[in-house]
Amino acid sequence: MLDILMGILAGLWESSGLAGLIEQPQKLILIGVSFLLMYLAIVQKWEPLLLLPIAFGMFLSNLPAVLEEDYMFHAAFWTQEQTADWFWSVLHDGGLLDKLYLGVKLQIYPCLIFLGIGTMTDFGPLIANPKSFLLGAAAQGGIFFTFVAAAALGMTAAECGAIAIIGGADGPTSIYVSSKLLDGANTNLTTGTIALAAYAYMALVPVIQPPIMRMLTTKKERAIKMPQLRQVSKTEKIIFPIVVTLIVTLLVPSAASLVGMLMFGNILKESGVCERLVDTAQNALMNIVTIFLGISVGATTTYDNVWNIQFIFVLFLGAVAFSLGTACGLIIAKIMNWLSGGKVNPLIGSAGVSAVPMAARISQKVGAETDPTNFLLMHAMGPNVAGVIGSAVAAGVLLSVVAY
Amino acid sequence: MQLMLSTNCLPLLAGGSIPGDTHMDGAQVAGVLTAGLGVVFAALVLLVVLIFLFGKLFELINGRKKQKETAKVTEKAPKAAPVQKKPAPAPAAMAVPAEDADEVIAVISAVVAMMSTQDGTTYQVRSVKPAAQSLGGRAVWAMDGRRQNVAPF
Repeated sequence: MLDILMGILAGLWESSGLAGLIEQPQKLILIGVSFLLMYLAIVQKWEPLLLLPIAFGMFLSNLPAVLEEDYMFHAAFWTQEQTADWFWSVLHDGGLLDKLYLGVKLQIYPCLIFLGIGTMTDFGPLIANPKSFLLGAAAQGGIFFTFVAAAALGMTAAECGAIAIIGGADGPTSIYVSSKLLDGANTNLTTGTIALAAYAYMALVPVIQPPIMRMLTTKKERAIKMPQLRQVSKTEKIIFPIVVTLIVTLLVPSAASLVGMLMFGNILKESGVCERLVDTAQNALMNIVTIFLGISVGATTTYDNVWNIQFIFVLFLGAVAFSLGTACGLIIAKIMNWLSGGKVNPLIGSAGVSAVPMAARISQKVGAETDPTNFLLMHAMGPNVAGVIGSAVAAGVLLSVVAY
Repeated sequence: MQLMLSTNCLPLLAGGSIPGDTHMDGAQVAGVLTAGLGVVFAALVLLVVLIFLFGKLFELINGRKKQKETAKVTEKAPKAAPVQKKPAPAPAAMAVPAEDADEVIAVISAVVAMMSTQDGTTYQVRSVKPAAQSLGGRAVWAMDGRRQNVAPF
């Protein structure tokens, strides 16, 4: 009787997570990191809507188990070739987070998030001042120069593309590109590590940008007051998403999914006849997809994928990408200011980084430091939303030139 | 031209589609940099031109609509002229601006009357004139409204 009891207890112990923890103590490090991220999300409020689900996904996937079937996420699935049998094995043998991660792998979640973003974006300031598109394009210099820097550090093409897209300062775009480029690639980088770096740096935009803005502009330039934007008609706002979708999809078809969904959401909003759909896209759909995306992406951050030199490179190059994007936008804005005879405040150039609306707020804040009566917010929103389109186009370019 | 618009131009500009697992040489990296920035700028410049042209077109259409409406109002005005009475004389001390002047003056007078009851001094509104618009061409109230709206940022 005692033998049987001891046998049962031994069996329970061997299949328990505590035994798994003794076998793989390194998982404690990632669990600790997940606690830190939860602190940053909850207490410091760093992009909590995504960072908290990512942190909890990291926590769940790094909780040790001994038996394979007890794991919520199996990293081994996601390095295999995606055949019909593979799909079946994920659905049959995978954990909950494996099944939720299918939405990332099939590029569904980022596109649905872009749909929701489209319903919440007002392109009026951009339509009123189309030159803002140039600032949105300029800020994507951060992506391509970071690509060069990553290549200089000896990374493969897929790794370079996945890291460079962090410079787009757009979470869904980063996830979309990295999930495609890193699919089946022989690398320790995962969509989770890229997403983690992207959202962490997006939260740090108020820290990264202002010193660069002050360094690259003079006080006189920061004090420039821009003329008021013209009124944009409803018809223009309806035609805009159609035109953008047409042009971008013809030039860069690989960006069609992101830009198409962004503009679909926008035309739903601007049409004024689909209020229920807009309400769903802005609220319920965005929230559901954000939960699924965050927790499943966080689950990909296992010890092997995070605790290596490449993750250090990701953190370093992420900062480089954001800084270069800010600098490129500011420089082009200075050139536009010079060509226009002093009518463009260069501070709006940094808003081309597509962290909407944070980057525009920072342009307003830094401008107001020099002159409190200077209201740059709406002028900065133009480049800010142009940056969303620009980063989606840049993503399409990366997906076109790097085979996956 | 057809090649430039082709979806295949990007890999060609980058020196061929680059396999994901390769370590790139300088030429490939330069190709990606050039192709990437070039295509992003080209796409957005095209959008700038198109949106600018659409904007001008709509301004033209709206301008013509306003001209038609103004012409209709002008046709009606001569018919209405014979029935116009002499407007009531404004208070001698008031210089009245354009629209909604009566409501604005009433509000200002009410506030001034309240001030009189608070400190016992009798105040009289002698004239109401638009404030000088020296702050970037914007009215003072509009400026204050903007200041309040962006203060949280």
